[in-house]
Amino acid sequence: MEPLLGTLYLLGWLVLGGLGYDSSSDQPGQEVVSPWRSLNTYSYDKYHPMGEIYEWMSQVSEKHADLVTQHFLGMTYETRPMYYLKISQPSNNPKKIIWIDCGIHAREWIAPAFCQWFVKEIVQNYKDNSRISRFLRNLDFYVLPVLNIDGYIYTWTTDRLWRKSRSSHSNGTCFGVDLNRNFNASWCSIGASTNCQDLTFCGTEPVSEPEAKAVSSLIESKKKDILCFLTIHSYGQLILTPYGYTKNKSSNHEELIQVGQKAANALKAKHGTNYRVGSSADILYAVSGSSRDWARDIGIPFSYTFELRDNGTYGFILPESQIQPTCEETMEGVLSLLDEVHTKNWPVNSARRVSATTAVWCMNL
Amino acid sequence: VDPKKGCEVDLVFSTEHYNPEEGEEHLGKCSARVLFKNHKSRPAINVTCTQLIEQIKRQKEDGLLYKQMKQLRNPLNIVSIPDSHGHIDPSLRPIWNLAFLGSSYVMWKKTTQFLHYYLVQLSSVKQWKTNDGAIDFDYTALLHEFSTQEIIPCRIHLVWYPGKPLKVKYHCQELQAPEASGTEEGSAMPPTKLSNF
Repeated sequence: MEPLLGTLYLLGWLVLGGLGYDSSSDQPGQEVVSPWRSLNTYSYDKYHPMGEIYEWMSQVSEKHADLVTQHFLGMTYETRPMYYLKISQPSNNPKKIIWIDCGIHAREWIAPAFCQWFVKEIVQNYKDNSRISRFLRNLDFYVLPVLNIDGYIYTWTTDRLWRKSRSSHSNGTCFGVDLNRNFNASWCSIGASTNCQDLTFCGTEPVSEPEAKAVSSLIESKKKDILCFLTIHSYGQLILTPYGYTKNKSSNHEELIQVGQKAANALKAKHGTNYRVGSSADILYAVSGSSRDWARDIGIPFSYTFELRDNGTYGFILPESQIQPTCEETMEGVLSLLDEVHTKNWPVNSARRVSATTAVWCMNL
Repeated sequence: VDPKKGCEVDLVFSTEHYNPEEGEEHLGKCSARVLFKNHKSRPAINVTCTQLIEQIKRQKEDGLLYKQMKQLRNPLNIVSIPDSHGHIDPSLRPIWNLAFLGSSYVMWKKTTQFLHYYLVQLSSVKQWKTNDGAIDFDYTALLHEFSTQEIIPCRIHLVWYPGKPLKVKYHCQELQAPEASGTEEGSAMPPTKLSNF
């Protein structure tokens, strides 16, 4: 079967190559997908159109089938499938979940780039990196590389600075909801708009948007197992804790700040990039209906928004040359966060006890 | 802070070269007092700086920028700087630098206690001609507005000659608020300040 597939791929490549397909096309109105791509040559330091990201997801889950599976989350407004990748090592013990989503705002291209980088780092290093293999013993990672797929595609075909989804309102005269104002967390009370023309339009009701609904439903169904909810944005170089809709602090605010600050330090150690840590209401601006606030409110203890590089020099249009350093430092920040979350739930002592028991059991066979 | 009068902010900050060379690290030290009046835009600013780059070096760099601008193909017709992937062709860098300077005037004029801006992209650099040796060009700057998240296009017309105050005329397209436009004569600031980029 495989040699035949290989021939088909080759034929496909030759045919499409002859037609002059160009994956790096910046032409408006066209979202071009590269005809054939091997996972070995996938560039994690370049921006990819949605077609390539879909293909990448299939290939990663196929190549690393023992670790990564692709799951359907829901459909977007324009009826595109939303998929997340579940990274999980088979084991007998129950796992807790770490959720990471990227690209809720279409123009924040560095975010989906980070999600892809994160997956790559895990699959390439889980066997010989003790830190990662430790996490995988007790944690499953659910990674949603692009949450706002319709919007993301729109930034490639039509308007690079589009932010919202692409749902239609007011008889087709107005488009898009700010998905990060659409969650059920003090919905539309502050820092959001009821006017469709605005970029912070909160939608017609809480979770009115299919993309927000898809995420909400999954998270809600698994909430007792989710330890950490990370939502990745750009720009601003911030690690934000709840809340945006009030200046009141969550019950574990001190801890969230402490863990967040540790993550910011680990991030800075990589390339010297400064990140600030604080609640949205304190260090950014008032915001209601955010996914992060909603996640905290349904009981997920560690809920953060990451605003990646930069500080305004390039903003949303971060040069590709900065993808690698941004992803490297962010990885350090996230890993530090995971360290804290993991150690808190599986303190070192009990781990040793477990291994000792396992050793005895094995010897008895 | 008297909400009727406005809001005053004291700042201490350092400046660095806009296009630092490899290993170059020159930090200027500044302190400023910014006064926002009654939620209005165009805050009053009183700023003093020390340890800026010496005048001679600044003049030399101005001269270089001028020369680079003059050497560009005329008329210019560019869609966007940077492109979607954040790339700026090295030959177009001088345009970005000068356009950034002009845009910073516009951003200052529009800033209030609640709204501030970043330059995201130049969406069209259309005309570029010289008039009596001065650099004269027209472009549209896309400004990212915090915290509305809006992208505000501003048509900017810039006239510059090294050593002379920068002249900026602009017209910003606003969705709801009344359209903002104005003229800014660089003579409000001493000429030496302009070249600290």
